[in-house]
Amino acid sequence: MKYHIVQLGCQMNISDGERVQQVLEGMGFVPTDNEAEANLLGVIACSVRQKGIDKVYTMVNKWNKSKNNKNLITFVSGCVLPADREQFLKLFDMVFPMSDLPDFPNMIKQYGIVTPAGLQSLDEGLKDLKIAEPVSANPKELTLAPVEPITGQKQTSLLRPDAGIRDFWHISPKYGSGFEAYIPIQNGCNKFCTFCAVPYTRGREVSRPSSEIIGELKDLVNNGYKSITLLGQNVNSYGLDKKSDELSFAELLEEIGRFGDDSKRDFWVYFTSPHPRDMGDEVIEVIAKYKCLAKQIHIPVQSGDDSMLVRMNRKYSMEKYRGIIHSINRLIPQATIFTDIIVGFTGETEEEFENTRKIMEEFKYNMAYIAQYSPRPGAASSRWADDIPKDVKKERYHKLTEELMKHSLRYNNNLIGKELKVLVRGKDRKEGYLSALTEGKIIVRFASENESLIGEYALVKISSAVPFSTEGELVSIYEQSSSMAGSQA
Amino acid sequence: MTSNNKHKLQAIRHLTGSTYVLEMERRGMEFEAGQHILLGAEDNIHKREYSIYSGTKDEQLEVLVKEVEDGMVSKQLKKISEGTYLEIEGPLGFFSIDPELILAKRKFLFIASGTGIAPFHSMVKSIPGLDYTLLHGVRLVDEAYEKDTYEEGRYILCTSRDDKGDFQGRITDYIKQHEFDKDTVCFFCGNFNMIREAMNLLEKKGIPPSQLHAEVYF
Ligand SMILES: Cc1cc2nc3c(=O)[nH]c(=O)nc-3n(C[C@H](O)[C@H](O)[C@H](O)COP(=O)(O)OP(=O)(O)OC[C@H]3O[C@@H](n4cnc5c(N)ncnc54)[C@H](O)[C@@H]3O)c2cc1C
Ligand code: SF4
Repeated sequence: MKYHIVQLGCQMNISDGERVQQVLEGMGFVPTDNEAEANLLGVIACSVRQKGIDKVYTMVNKWNKSKNNKNLITFVSGCVLPADREQFLKLFDMVFPMSDLPDFPNMIKQYGIVTPAGLQSLDEGLKDLKIAEPVSANPKELTLAPVEPITGQKQTSLLRPDAGIRDFWHISPKYGSGFEAYIPIQNGCNKFCTFCAVPYTRGREVSRPSSEIIGELKDLVNNGYKSITLLGQNVNSYGLDKKSDELSFAELLEEIGRFGDDSKRDFWVYFTSPHPRDMGDEVIEVIAKYKCLAKQIHIPVQSGDDSMLVRMNRKYSMEKYRGIIHSINRLIPQATIFTDIIVGFTGETEEEFENTRKIMEEFKYNMAYIAQYSPRPGAASSRWADDIPKDVKKERYHKLTEELMKHSLRYNNNLIGKELKVLVRGKDRKEGYLSALTEGKIIVRFASENESLIGEYALVKISSAVPFSTEGELVSIYEQSSSMAGSQA
Repeated sequence: MTSNNKHKLQAIRHLTGSTYVLEMERRGMEFEAGQHILLGAEDNIHKREYSIYSGTKDEQLEVLVKEVEDGMVSKQLKKISEGTYLEIEGPLGFFSIDPELILAKRKFLFIASGTGIAPFHSMVKSIPGLDYTLLHGVRLVDEAYEKDTYEEGRYILCTSRDDKGDFQGRITDYIKQHEFDKDTVCFFCGNFNMIREAMNLLEKKGIPPSQLHAEVYF
């Protein structure tokens, strides 16, 4: 029995997809890249743009046609708006929110598909369920829960009677990489930014128990993972939904930092995305304190103008945001800073755009993901006039990109001559080169055909720079005890 | 959407030809004055945001809705018969007054256009002794929705299309012609263009941005 999954959208969807794969492979399904030979076809959908949803309709219509000559079942999960969900029910065999994933084996069984694991009673499989339970009931006295190693394990049943997002998190994912991984720590969003549909597709904020997060992280680190990203729509409101019964985000980072120190292992922990409204100095102070907490902060600003922030319902002012950047610069001067920006949002005047251009100059971001505004189905602003002409949006986009390139180049030029510790991620597009990232997520490429370096730390001396990337020469494979340690970038 | 709660519609209070109050069962729902809900007809996938109009101590849950020309949900809700169920999600949002500001007996300026008065109605009903002035911008005098709720002298109706309000002209004209204490805490709600202009004016009059809070309807 073969399966094929199409994953659309963001890191959160990729992380969700890893758990879907684990469930399917636990049932005995085998992955295939060839859609035509799959018996089970699925899509993890993304509603951020209409285009993404249109793609799902095209795909399922094609799949449904091929049902005439073969046995095929289809499913869709991920970020789906209520109106599309209604349509999908008529087109797909199974439509379910990610929180229902633990029940997926049952749904498949209802289609009469017999898989090796499917023959086993689902209740029996409960015994094998890999769950990290808190050792202490009080998260403030948290100790790490015992979890099994990831490698080479086949999981079978993943069911618990009270299935929901919490049970979904109990499913160990099939990580796509042997050295980089995402850990979901929270699902949903309460913020309702007017340009965003996430609160309508993923529902309200639910925090995953900290014992599970730390259990999964420990497991990954013990298996040699070197770059781990904590994922959530609003990571720094972690724990707020549980009032005082769960750690705060700063406390969660502190636990991870302490584990990092005790483990004597070398790894970097990132998180994305935080929301400026909930970003206090305590988070920045913890990052400054622990070696394993990567000195790279992604803090979406969206606009540099107070009126636009109001219209976007971001619930912070530039005064508050400026305070956060100042705290980062003061407490972690070596940190790189990334952001997200939308240009051409409904009603954005020249003057309001100019305020965004000015903050690019002021904050000198290392990277900014700049989007030209387009209404996202389901979001409040999709019902408002999209009144900034396309060419104006484009022009604003180019102006910001130019500004960004200037600062990125200046920063990267300053790295020339320095020896940096990097994590080698794979072959570069440039023939005979490998591509790597510094702790601050600056791209470094260097000449080497040695693929065994992939997934390892190395020391590279930077020799040249362009905006957004640098080039260097391999100095050595990075040894943990290396005193040179490489200056941070 | 994670959970949908069904609340029985008990009555509709029509305030003008197009604006009405939905009176629903509260079913113990806790909220902070100023928050909103997502609301729609039962089993209908289309829902919209509506500020809670009733007070935190009221028995019923109320919203104030203006039927929008060519609008979908605001039209549907107007036609719903009493006794049927509505689906609600919430309470949601952060548009409420920090209790410390109330304790500190700060002066509040509430600025609303049209149905943007809803969260302020809830705040005034919920928080006794609030030292506020409410500027309400509408076109005609009949849009002074249930103005008797507000204490004498605290409600200022700005009418742009007739001269029957307390002030003839737009809210922004009123702001231009008046002075405000610099430590006033301002809350804005309703149409974005009004909010943008009013915020800029008040900032120029010396009120710091940290004292300006807004909820945009459209
Ligand atoms: C946080 C929040 C709270 C809100 N609270 C309220 C409330 O308490 N009372 C209320 O009546 N509305 C409120 N709204 C607006 C409401 O959510 C809907 O947008 C409105 O009822 C129109 O929905 P519709 O389906 O009828 O129109 P749609 O079919 O969605 O068409 C929307 C069109 O109507 C315009 N529009 C939206 N609201 C108004 C309005 N009040 N006057 C004129 N045009 C409008 C939009 O710009 C858009 O062009 C709120 C919106 C938000 C974001
Ligand atoms: S953009 Fe706003 S609404 Fe969307 S997920 Fe982020 S915080 Fe939530």
